[in-house]
Amino acid sequence: MRPELWLLAALFSQGVFAQDRLIPGPGSTLTENKCQICHELRHIQRTPLSRGEWADTLKNMKERGTPMDEAEMAVILDYLSVYYNRQKPAPPPSRDTLAAGGEDPVQKLLNANGCVGCHAVDQRVVGPAFREIGARYAGDSTAPARLAAKIREGGQGVWGQVPMPPNPELSDADLNAIVGWVLGKN
Amino acid sequence: MDQDNKAVTRRDFLTGVAGVGTLAAVGETLAQAAAPEAPPGTISNEAVKADKVPAMEWHSERPLTGSVPAHEHDFDLTPNHRMFVRNNLLTPLIDFNAHRLTLKGLVDKELSFSVFDLAKQFRTVSIQGMLECAGSGRSAYQPRASGTPWLPTGGMGCPEWGGVRLTDVLKAAGLKPNAAHVAGEGGDPGMVANAAPVIRSIPIKKALDEDTLIAWAMNGGPLPFVHGYPLRLVVPGWVGSASTKWLHTLTVLGAPFKGTYMDSSYRVPKVPVEPGQKMPADSVSAEAWPIKSMITFPVPNATYQAGATITVRGKAWVGEGSVDRVEVSADEGKSWRPAQLARATGRYAWRSFAVEFKPEGPGYVTFLARAWDDRGNAQPAQPQWNPLGYFWNAWHRVGVVVEA
Repeated sequence: MRPELWLLAALFSQGVFAQDRLIPGPGSTLTENKCQICHELRHIQRTPLSRGEWADTLKNMKERGTPMDEAEMAVILDYLSVYYNRQKPAPPPSRDTLAAGGEDPVQKLLNANGCVGCHAVDQRVVGPAFREIGARYAGDSTAPARLAAKIREGGQGVWGQVPMPPNPELSDADLNAIVGWVLGKN
Repeated sequence: MDQDNKAVTRRDFLTGVAGVGTLAAVGETLAQAAAPEAPPGTISNEAVKADKVPAMEWHSERPLTGSVPAHEHDFDLTPNHRMFVRNNLLTPLIDFNAHRLTLKGLVDKELSFSVFDLAKQFRTVSIQGMLECAGSGRSAYQPRASGTPWLPTGGMGCPEWGGVRLTDVLKAAGLKPNAAHVAGEGGDPGMVANAAPVIRSIPIKKALDEDTLIAWAMNGGPLPFVHGYPLRLVVPGWVGSASTKWLHTLTVLGAPFKGTYMDSSYRVPKVPVEPGQKMPADSVSAEAWPIKSMITFPVPNATYQAGATITVRGKAWVGEGSVDRVEVSADEGKSWRPAQLARATGRYAWRSFAVEFKPEGPGYVTFLARAWDDRGNAQPAQPQWNPLGYFWNAWHRVGVVVEA
């Protein structure tokens, strides 16, 4: 097993990520998901920087291996430059209107439940790409039930030995929405 | 100072290796006990912390960083349990016997060594040498600089290192005429599969310095896991990141290595910038530490009787050159008293200093220490702010309560 997968899964299952939050605002969820793959959010919280310094820091983190594209970096830079700026105080917390997918309800679910910390649509981040999962189960009539059980209870062994943490709080409706969406990605 | 007379002997080395087997077994047990946090092939933070003193302050968990305050450094040699911890990634658990060091690049012949090969083929040496994180002291900068909030003092240590000279190994491979830099690559794994490996390079002049080592021993035993077991570079006097831990590859290059740990980190502005501004285009690589000192005794806010003698003790060091003198003030810098400076125990070792005071009191007395190097540089009252918060070397201050 790749060590990073083990650790990340362990951190998710221990709820470490959920307890540590940035100031809610446009882009806060994406920023949390990307930054805490490798480090604690207090690296951000304790040192507000200027926009130029944040830009340099993001470039550095991308070079070090953070899986994020240009568009995501732009969202994160805008967010950090507003909410963690050494030159001006942070505005009051607000809704993260930029949670991936904008108004797309499934993307919001994936975000809110931390799925996108490990999974992306087209590429392997830590876990398999959603498209890979969709392709694997294509044409399999038992797939919805099996995938739903995997998401609800966690799983291991299908894509490697990395344990996927369970998601017991997901409602049936949300779970079905996610399963349908993933299986459509083939 | 050449300390070949104190070189690690074959017996010491073998003893060390025997100890290594035990250590590895203990490490694996601890790593398992701490599961699921510790990924396979790594050492858990709990296991690392178990080997450190309770006084160590942990600045971050991912990556793991920690240091002890100045008054916990009142030792001639920094004990393992007080040595600062600065990981970029995770702490790997590497098999000592299977580990190989590869030397490649601008050399006449590529070479590969086990740790035993190094000990057999080259003269083993030991030196006392300073390692200090470039960001040591960062938390004292105002405005705050980006990065680990190291205490004003503490992100350093001066243990004894044992191994072989890098220059001997380079000579065995034969350097091409255009060799300009030597890059060390560490085997520490990241959190994501495509994490950039930790690679830093040093100029050939420093690589050929006889105190630059490929080390497997620290204070007479094997390197602790978190300090590079089984093999690391020791580039004493320079920023700690030059001393690649978990070293597995050395590459001789015609120019400085190009990579994130060279080009986006460990840089300082060539010309000072306004505090709070980003790194200017014109920057230079952080290399040798400027002159620095710290007071290791008394303990901050200790209580003394008026008229009692207080022997202020501390350490002074500089990355290149030598410490010329140390002065201590008890009146906020209005007057300075020369401290007695102990003999140098290595070209890159810190030097102990001591000076007596007899405060009349009552009241609060603050001691300030300021060192000078042999090139006429003194520690500043306040060092130049820089975007990544490196090279904090202000006068160290420690206050005590004097009762009537």
